[in-house]
Amino acid sequence: MKKFKNIDWDNVERFIGSLKFAVIVISLFTLSMIIGTFLESYYGTDFANRAVYKTPFFMLVQFGILMSIIFAAILRLPPKKRLYGFYTIHAGLIIIGMGSLITYVAGVDGQITLAPNEPNRQVILTKDILKITYPTEGKQVTTFLPFSAFKTNIDETYDNINIREYIPFAEGKFVWSDPINHYPEGAQIHSSKYHFKNAFAEQDITLSIHPEAGNDFQSNMQMGPLAFSYYPSSIAHCFAENNPSKIIVWNSQTAECFTPESKAIPVKTTGANNRFIVIPLGNTFLTFFPDFSPFPMDTKLQTDEKSNIRVFSKKLFEEKPNLFLFGKKVSFYSKAENKWIMEDIEVGKKAVTLPWMGAEISLTVHQEKLVPFNLPIATIPIQKNGSLIKGDIRAVRLDILGKEYWVTNYSPLSLLVQGKKVVIEVTKESLNLPFELALTEFKMDKDPGTNNPASYESFVKLFADGATSSHHVFMNNPMKQSGYTFYQASYSQDSQGQYNTTLAVNVDQGRVMKYLGSLMLVFGAIWHYNLNNKKKPKKDNQQDPDDPEVNT
Amino acid sequence: MKKLLVLLALCLLGITPAMSADNYFCKKDLEKLPILQGGRVKPLYVHAAEAIKNLTGKSTVGELSAVEAYCLLSLNGMGLPSDIKLEARIDHVDLMKFLGLEKDQHTIAYEALLAKEDAIKSEVRMIKDNESYKKAMGKLYDSIYLYKEIKAGDNWLLAANINNHIEWQPIVVYLTEQKVIAQKALTPADPFLPVLLKSKTEFDQANGNEKYELELVYAKAGLATWALTLSIIALATLVLFKNFNIALGIAGFSALVQIVLIAMRVIISGRAPITNMYETVLFSGFGSLALALVLGHFKKEKLFVYMGLAYNVCTLMMLNFANGMLTATISPLVPVLRDNFWLSTHVTCVILSYGALALSWILANTVLFKRRWGSITKKDELMYADIIYTTLKWGTTMLAGGVILGGVWADYSWGRFWGWDPKETWSLIVLCTYMAILHGRYTSWIKPARFITITAGAFMSVMMAWFGVNYILATGLHSYGFSEGGAIFLGSFFLIQTIILIITNNYEAPKNTALEA
Repeated sequence: MKKFKNIDWDNVERFIGSLKFAVIVISLFTLSMIIGTFLESYYGTDFANRAVYKTPFFMLVQFGILMSIIFAAILRLPPKKRLYGFYTIHAGLIIIGMGSLITYVAGVDGQITLAPNEPNRQVILTKDILKITYPTEGKQVTTFLPFSAFKTNIDETYDNINIREYIPFAEGKFVWSDPINHYPEGAQIHSSKYHFKNAFAEQDITLSIHPEAGNDFQSNMQMGPLAFSYYPSSIAHCFAENNPSKIIVWNSQTAECFTPESKAIPVKTTGANNRFIVIPLGNTFLTFFPDFSPFPMDTKLQTDEKSNIRVFSKKLFEEKPNLFLFGKKVSFYSKAENKWIMEDIEVGKKAVTLPWMGAEISLTVHQEKLVPFNLPIATIPIQKNGSLIKGDIRAVRLDILGKEYWVTNYSPLSLLVQGKKVVIEVTKESLNLPFELALTEFKMDKDPGTNNPASYESFVKLFADGATSSHHVFMNNPMKQSGYTFYQASYSQDSQGQYNTTLAVNVDQGRVMKYLGSLMLVFGAIWHYNLNNKKKPKKDNQQDPDDPEVNT
Repeated sequence: MKKLLVLLALCLLGITPAMSADNYFCKKDLEKLPILQGGRVKPLYVHAAEAIKNLTGKSTVGELSAVEAYCLLSLNGMGLPSDIKLEARIDHVDLMKFLGLEKDQHTIAYEALLAKEDAIKSEVRMIKDNESYKKAMGKLYDSIYLYKEIKAGDNWLLAANINNHIEWQPIVVYLTEQKVIAQKALTPADPFLPVLLKSKTEFDQANGNEKYELELVYAKAGLATWALTLSIIALATLVLFKNFNIALGIAGFSALVQIVLIAMRVIISGRAPITNMYETVLFSGFGSLALALVLGHFKKEKLFVYMGLAYNVCTLMMLNFANGMLTATISPLVPVLRDNFWLSTHVTCVILSYGALALSWILANTVLFKRRWGSITKKDELMYADIIYTTLKWGTTMLAGGVILGGVWADYSWGRFWGWDPKETWSLIVLCTYMAILHGRYTSWIKPARFITITAGAFMSVMMAWFGVNYILATGLHSYGFSEGGAIFLGSFFLIQTIILIITNNYEAPKNTALEA
């Protein structure tokens, strides 16, 4: 307390309001911004925000500028006529600063994606969170992850789940990991890594049917016109049979298969010349139209996509390039030989030649039990053409009952913790709107004769208080509802070719203050610099006695 | 089939005496035909010039004009062979090696490139790290695609009135045997040209011809060259012959030519003339000249005219000669910029502020040169510093207004006042830089001699905000003005300005030197 009393507050006030302090904070501010723009250019907007613009240091510099502006004005009181413009500028800047602070603290800045005719009220915000869900108990816990640019250690525990580390930008390092759960001996959970090569490209492909393989390692993939399908090795023998009907019946749960010919099940034809087979299953029968759907059809001709019993018609895969892989066996249709070919493919052995433009494939790794996994490694992201090409994985390391687990924005974790089912996700904070929105139509006009977009327009239905209203949102024409403003921000196309729209959602309580401050700033600048004609910069050896700079 | 029919018709009709055997009906008259390309209707003269320039780097092909060359190449699509040989310009060393060109051989025929098309396609996919090579290869691939499209007759689109609705048809579809035979009955000497010109009549009747015909006048007038010539003469009259009144008159005339140039672009494009680098350079040069003339008049200071003219010459030089960086092509805007109110307030304000700050840069550098190699007194130095201070006041006030208007526009269309986008951030950096200088000078913390040096250097921040964000940082929401060659230009500018600052450093005006300003 005594120390505070000993401080010469007049001196502190003079220093903060001095030109020297102003130049220091403006220089720091400018330098930080220059660094920020270059970081953004190379490493992306998110990285620049985390490394510069949203850091406590940068906020402190901005606070310093605000203080400098306030004290510079206070030191020049009582008011002098020639400084009226100066007071207006500084008051304007203070008001802008306060408006920005209100926006920062209380504002909402997020995005909502609308699919056609699917009402949605969830706005995705910017903060990263870790969401822990207990589906059986209907319980959910969320925790904010640090807004840092680099790997950050955390030590937070919730019900045996210890959050150890957060990596905001990570890249995956391929590893084979032990499975989390136990599987019975002989379970079809294998994964394989192949090397594919043709005249234009070569690539490693990892395919898996392991239930724990994340989204990075699936059982199907497409490379240009060529489709890869990875199946349990136990059904390869059915493919090798070359049965006349070219139909295979298999159980996706037990990975067992048979051909209709092997069980003397007849393949019949409808009046319209469509093939169908009827498979007995316990006391019931399943009817399949193998040339239309792999799933059985009920009496109303609706497919039952939950059925484990499926059929496979090889006929459907003869026209386009399709490669079927069964771990150590590979099958494809050869148009030249007019038949299905099954070949062995062994690790380290000769590549199998494929009948498409000199393509060949070899097996590099085969694992019966281990799970392919991209281990998150912290990295500096790289941005190209507006999107991250490196480091787009956000990952959290967890310690659950002494065992290490990773959760990423691409791979949620689902496991049993002491008998309780838990789903853990790395996602973004969200907000539920007090009303719902649905997209009725997305319209993208193009410049005549080109594919360049000329406008993006969303026709939106709003459901609020039991009433429905229609709105038209497009560039420079936002929609306002209950304090929220919706702007046309982006769009995407789903696998069926339907357009989804993304609207920016905004609540800005500081808007009026920012506008008022801006007006004062501009008018103050005109007043001070362009209307005060009598005031010239002072001669260099003369000082203004009113100027506090003299005394500092 | 249609191609065959047209070829057959041509054979049946014979090449008429009015048509030269080499050029068929490819004549100058075609230049006024409307064509739909790049998202808007323009005269064939403009499109052909852009396409030929894109393909060969030149505006003519031997003795043939761009329109004649474009027409002859398009006729290949109808089975009419021509001797025209277009060559691509190749400058990238790795690309030259890939194409098997000798060290001093910078051109290769497109027909030879067509033979290598698959290899080029494969190479484009295989390049991983060499960005400049990938870019050069990608550009070449695009040019080959354009060449093939023109050669197939698919690039030349003609307006046809189908059921009172204008449809754009490739020449191979438009020029049917039926039309040619019908026209031959009317004009036996040359039935082709009238059929093609009918496309113009049909388009004009449906949509009018004001805009694209004005564009033809605009493209042929070469107003940027006229303006440059006038501004150079005015500057020379002022600096070398020291005749202020004549210089002022010519400067006024140059400004008038630039007003016409800008007005024509506004009418043709239907929007404010500040949507790409070409237009911002044009507008900033004109704006600074206009501001200098107004300030000079009210301040009764002839020096402003010098500053305005010198900067105006710089910008017009860029418009006339830096074609690799600034393209005069008028293109449709990206959706977010399609708001004339905000374009004509926010962007105009910012670009005018750059023009005003450029005036200070011109004078500051002039003083640096005079101080180093000429003679100058302290009194002159103070006077120059005062004039620079005046332009800075105008520049920063307009820049502050422009930055704020940008924030309001961003709030209005994106939902946030400020988002740390590189363009926004750099405009704030410029504002902070100049505000710091103004504060320093206002409180005499920065002495006049140092003030002049700092002002000369500070313009580098403007160049970074204006060009650097697009050419060096090349990211962010404002990514509308990107083109090539800019990074080299900007790097050279920074280097030269830094050298000037270094070699003129520590030279101050002696207190009692005779006035020779």
